Amino acid sequence: MRVSAPASGSGPDLGAADYPLSVNRQDLLRTPTGKPITALTMNAVVAGEITAEDLRIAPETLQLQATLAESVHRRQLAANFRRAAELTAVPDAEVLAMYNALRPRASSKEQLLGIAENLENKYQATVCGALVREAAEVYERRDLLARDEED
Amino acid sequence: MSAPTAASTSERTLTLKEVGPAKRASRPDEVVVAVSPAFSDPFTKTIVDVPHAEVIRQILAGIEEQGVHARVIKVWDTADLAAVAHTGARLSGSGISIGLLSRGTAMIHQRDLPRLSNLELFPQSPLLDAEVFRRIGSNAAQYAKGESPAPVPTRNDQMARPRWQAKAALLHLKEFECIVAGRKPVEVEPVISRA
Amino acid sequence: MTTTENRRSRRTEILEDRPVNLDGFVEEWPEKGLVAMESDFDPQPSVRVEGGRIVELDGRARADFDFMDTFIADHAIDVETAEEVNAIPSVEIARALVDPRASRDELTRIGRGLTPAKILDVVKLMNVVEIMMAMQKMRARRTPANQAHSTSAKDNPIQVAADAAEGALRGFAELETTLGVVRYAPLVAIALQVGGQVGRGGVLTQCALEEATELELGMRGITAYAETISVYGTESVFVDGDDTPWSKAFLASAYASRGIKMRFTSGTGSEVQMGNAEGRSMLYLEIRCILMAKGAGVQGLQNGSISCIGVPGAVPGGIRAVAAENLVASWMDLECASGNDQSFSHSAMRRTARLLPQMLPGTDFVCSGYSAVPNADNMFAGSNLDTEDFDDWNTIQRDLQVDGGLRHVREPEILQVREKAARALQAVFAELDLPRITDEEVEAAVYANGSGDYPERDVLEDLKGAQSVMDRGVTGLDLVKALERSGFHDVAENLLTVLRQRVSGDLLQTSAILTDDFVPLSAINDANDYGGPGSGYRLQGERWEQLKKLRHVTSAEDPETEVS
Repeated sequence: MRVSAPASGSGPDLGAADYPLSVNRQDLLRTPTGKPITALTMNAVVAGEITAEDLRIAPETLQLQATLAESVHRRQLAANFRRAAELTAVPDAEVLAMYNALRPRASSKEQLLGIAENLENKYQATVCGALVREAAEVYERRDLLARDEED
Repeated sequence: MSAPTAASTSERTLTLKEVGPAKRASRPDEVVVAVSPAFSDPFTKTIVDVPHAEVIRQILAGIEEQGVHARVIKVWDTADLAAVAHTGARLSGSGISIGLLSRGTAMIHQRDLPRLSNLELFPQSPLLDAEVFRRIGSNAAQYAKGESPAPVPTRNDQMARPRWQAKAALLHLKEFECIVAGRKPVEVEPVISRA
Repeated sequence: MTTTENRRSRRTEILEDRPVNLDGFVEEWPEKGLVAMESDFDPQPSVRVEGGRIVELDGRARADFDFMDTFIADHAIDVETAEEVNAIPSVEIARALVDPRASRDELTRIGRGLTPAKILDVVKLMNVVEIMMAMQKMRARRTPANQAHSTSAKDNPIQVAADAAEGALRGFAELETTLGVVRYAPLVAIALQVGGQVGRGGVLTQCALEEATELELGMRGITAYAETISVYGTESVFVDGDDTPWSKAFLASAYASRGIKMRFTSGTGSEVQMGNAEGRSMLYLEIRCILMAKGAGVQGLQNGSISCIGVPGAVPGGIRAVAAENLVASWMDLECASGNDQSFSHSAMRRTARLLPQMLPGTDFVCSGYSAVPNADNMFAGSNLDTEDFDDWNTIQRDLQVDGGLRHVREPEILQVREKAARALQAVFAELDLPRITDEEVEAAVYANGSGDYPERDVLEDLKGAQSVMDRGVTGLDLVKALERSGFHDVAENLLTVLRQRVSGDLLQTSAILTDDFVPLSAINDANDYGGPGSGYRLQGERWEQLKKLRHVTSAEDPETEVS
């Protein structure tokens, strides 16, 4: 709580004192469908106003958590949240397919670059795209691309 | 559970006499028993001291009591159980093999299955005794005859880890040292003699 | 002096019969990596930065990097500080780790720039007491906690619900389950979630499965977090596990993108066990895993050898190395769920000694799986501690005045939550049209110890039900509705509050758990502020009064009676 918060790149200037957002900054929290978090009540559930889609995290919220993580010097954790913010737009099945494609010897270099392009162009997921491009390069160097003859 | 007379088994020793390169057989009524590089030499017993002579004797008896022929090969270029067993299966006339590591870990494999799959796996080497090896032989023979035997019951012991995990790792490392890269599998004749 | 051959002394016979002699011990073989943490075959620390990137790491040039080196150099290590902090003598860093005047913040700043071999060089200087001293300061969350395994040898959902409720009531902050028959997973995961929220609102649950299914249950809100995402310290073993640092990093982001808390798993001994340690010590390879996890940006790590504990446990200094790997995870600013979660020894004395380096200083989760079911029902192949050890654990907490996360609970309260959990699950199954839970089963759940104490379930019907949960797309929200409709308002409200947490993302921060009041408690708002005697987490006040209670304590007021 005593850690000072450096100014962040974008969004509200959040620091450790704002955490937990669910207690201290409910004003910043919305569902992906645009409802304020305070709308997620039992009455609303019973009235059928809440769907499973409302219980997901919004990309903006992940960016807020990334800012918080940076304020306490957790650079990699923040980067993970920023990649995650991008992936909120990608459907579940596609996320799983991308993960499987990144397994060793599962994809050719072209296939990996195709995934990167898809992430970048279709989902504006540039940080994720860069991670996949980096994988393609390393896999090529370490002989971890798909081989022609698999038994 | 009762192993046949421990006193007599302790006297038997196993020699694997090389016959020649292991070839694929055509007779459909055989099971190939594929052993790992250190089997019988330099190792002579499993992780729980079941003599390799006894392991082979029981497996062969299990196969033969089903009226099936057994052939033993030694695999030299890997100590990975699935690879050893699959090598055996590809050479087996029936397509059925039993893979065996020196520490006792065993697997029944079939030629048409992917290498990393298997028919039955016995990963807990400390729990494999003479009777289990006999039943493994018997089940493999029944698969070779096209039957669907009930799997050999697997046992579980939560205290196997503290007692055996490190020794298993050590045996695994030693077995790896006996690998001869590039050497093809060899057909062997098991000679069991009384010391 | 004459001795008689083949005759043993009575004393030797007694010692031979001691349980500790059923444990396995082996000599070291450093060339093959069968060595805990002191090996001539580990690399010497070095780092060189050129043009903003690391071009040499622990004696290896970038051109020769394997994928672990590459990932660690490019993602884990702070390039700006690397050369500066690696130049600090190891002994100075080691002393700072145990010196209460050196702050945790300063040590994490140094830690962010260190190479794996340098980190090893530092912790090699520390004995086990110093490792504990350092852990006390470096643990990320100020308040220690504990995690339970809640499983059933028969995958019986009623058992899992009742034991989850009891476990939550006893104080576990997280509950983990897994299966004998994997297809049972949806029903058992539901049971764990419902039972957990009965025992103590805000407890977090997970179901250990292969990656894709585990993620799917999480995405649906049936589970709250995940941890069985394994990483390894050599490239070859990592590839044998069918993953790479990049696939795992992507998976970490996938979990976070659904608001799900997640940690990786690694541990000493896994590489040598799989025969590919590349001649490195167990701890060196584990430090590579820890840095890989850090580089991936995952908030935490389950380590402490975990399922390979028999390997470090069998070599000299192995349990010191296990304590050191937990310390390094904490030092690298990751949540640490610190092992003590697998059957370790036949000796009760040795089991206890093995857990003290985590229990005494406190870790984020002292056990990453204390078996809150009898070990015979533990589908993680047994834990270092189980239900029979509850009173011993509570007594050790009271003796040493340490908080291991549990407390003594009086039987009537336990029976009450067990019954309520079974009833709640009965109602949820009825609401969701799943195979019926009878009153007889509920009754059994109240008083049972293990799976043998329950009526047999119709397994085939249950498996059909489990499949229908997947086919129908049942979600955590459906569980809330079912609980609410059947009159379990408080349980429904608890579960809804847990689900709402994923909208806020608060549980994604390092070491986050939920308090009884549903307030996220993490390394941000409960940052470890240990600074020597009188500071940091102290077991006192109301919590200490709780932990003074045991099953049998003679009343001071009336010594003819007991208080409990």
